[in-house]
Amino acid sequence: MTQSVRDRRMLRRIVMPLCAALAVGAAGVALAHHSFAMFDSDHQIKLAGTVKSFEWANPHVYIELNATDADGTSKDYTVECANPGILNRIGWKFNMIKPGDKITVIIAPLKTGEPGGLLKQVTLPDGRKFANGAPAGKANIQ
Amino acid sequence: MLQEMRRSARGERAAFIVTALALGMTGAGAPAWAAPSKGDHAAPTAAIHGLTGTWNRYPQLDEGVDPKLPPPPPPVGPPPLKPEYKAAWETQQKAAHEADARGEPAFTDYVKCLPDGMPAMMLGMFPMEVLQTPGQVTIMQEAYNQVRRIYLNEKQIAIEDAEPGYWGHSVGHWEGDTLIVDTVGIKESVRFRNTPHSDQMRIHERIHMTTPDFFEDQITVEDPAYLTGPWNFTWAYKRLPHYKMLEYVCDSNREYKDPKTGGTRLRIGH
Repeated sequence: MTQSVRDRRMLRRIVMPLCAALAVGAAGVALAHHSFAMFDSDHQIKLAGTVKSFEWANPHVYIELNATDADGTSKDYTVECANPGILNRIGWKFNMIKPGDKITVIIAPLKTGEPGGLLKQVTLPDGRKFANGAPAGKANIQ
Repeated sequence: MLQEMRRSARGERAAFIVTALALGMTGAGAPAWAAPSKGDHAAPTAAIHGLTGTWNRYPQLDEGVDPKLPPPPPPVGPPPLKPEYKAAWETQQKAAHEADARGEPAFTDYVKCLPDGMPAMMLGMFPMEVLQTPGQVTIMQEAYNQVRRIYLNEKQIAIEDAEPGYWGHSVGHWEGDTLIVDTVGIKESVRFRNTPHSDQMRIHERIHMTTPDFFEDQITVEDPAYLTGPWNFTWAYKRLPHYKMLEYVCDSNREYKDPKTGGTRLRIGH
């Protein structure tokens, strides 16, 4: 490998992540149907429960989940997912979750304290994990 | 499946070449796109400029910048509102940020499941499909099944005759490899960045393909009633090969307006 090729590769390693960071910050790409300000992404929680329903529709896909919270109380949670388009593009299928499925979710809870939140990650009964698309952001717990 | 996609791509390329050759032959020696005649719906510009296909706004949130492509356009600046409108707009923007910080995001028309219309539709929330057919370029945005039709080589209607709507009345023509588009007739309630406008608003676009897989839309918004001058911004798009557009009917909205705060709330339970 010549010096100039090595230099170019090094430059690319430095410059590309920098450009990516600038672009995400500056380009102002649309985020979603609405702002995510209703949800507390800094204090994510993990819930294991049983699916009551899985609604595959726009503007959002919803999982109704019966889960036991930290106090040991059984509650029904409304889990907001992205929309069918975003989810299709990251490998979800309209019928991959069914009533009765035992699943685990990581959510950004509603700031109001109501039992609901924005999905960050779901683990299906077969162990497969799915994120909720780039706009919704990643799980920060496991 | 990959083989099928490759076969299909080869087929599309072959069809494109055949079409381009066939159309070129009708052009009496001149490049087919050089001088589209006025009102000629069979003007052979359509197949040649290659906009047909599916596109994603570039760069996506989870996508790095491709050094082989032109740098992403700068972010959209604030609208050059006249002083009598500027203060109210700035107050509203500040209030929206504060409402977000309180966890009470604004209950906008978009949250109500109304399409964003022009020019916001070109922001490319979701993938976009462009079809070039004789006399027309059609742009479809997956979010809210939005469709806008650009009629080629037609005279624009008088602005006072433009029926207000979400996407307006658009005419366009090719200048070399740039599609020049003029749009009038945007409903006053259809706002980009909550910027007020009048029925005199006009949107100019210069849609320019830099490479076969990348184009930019340079937008200029003019409105003598509200703006001190042109509001310029640019969005870029990268080809999304083999993508099949999905339907989007907003029939399951669980977001509602909180009667106390006016912010957006999520309905819990069924």
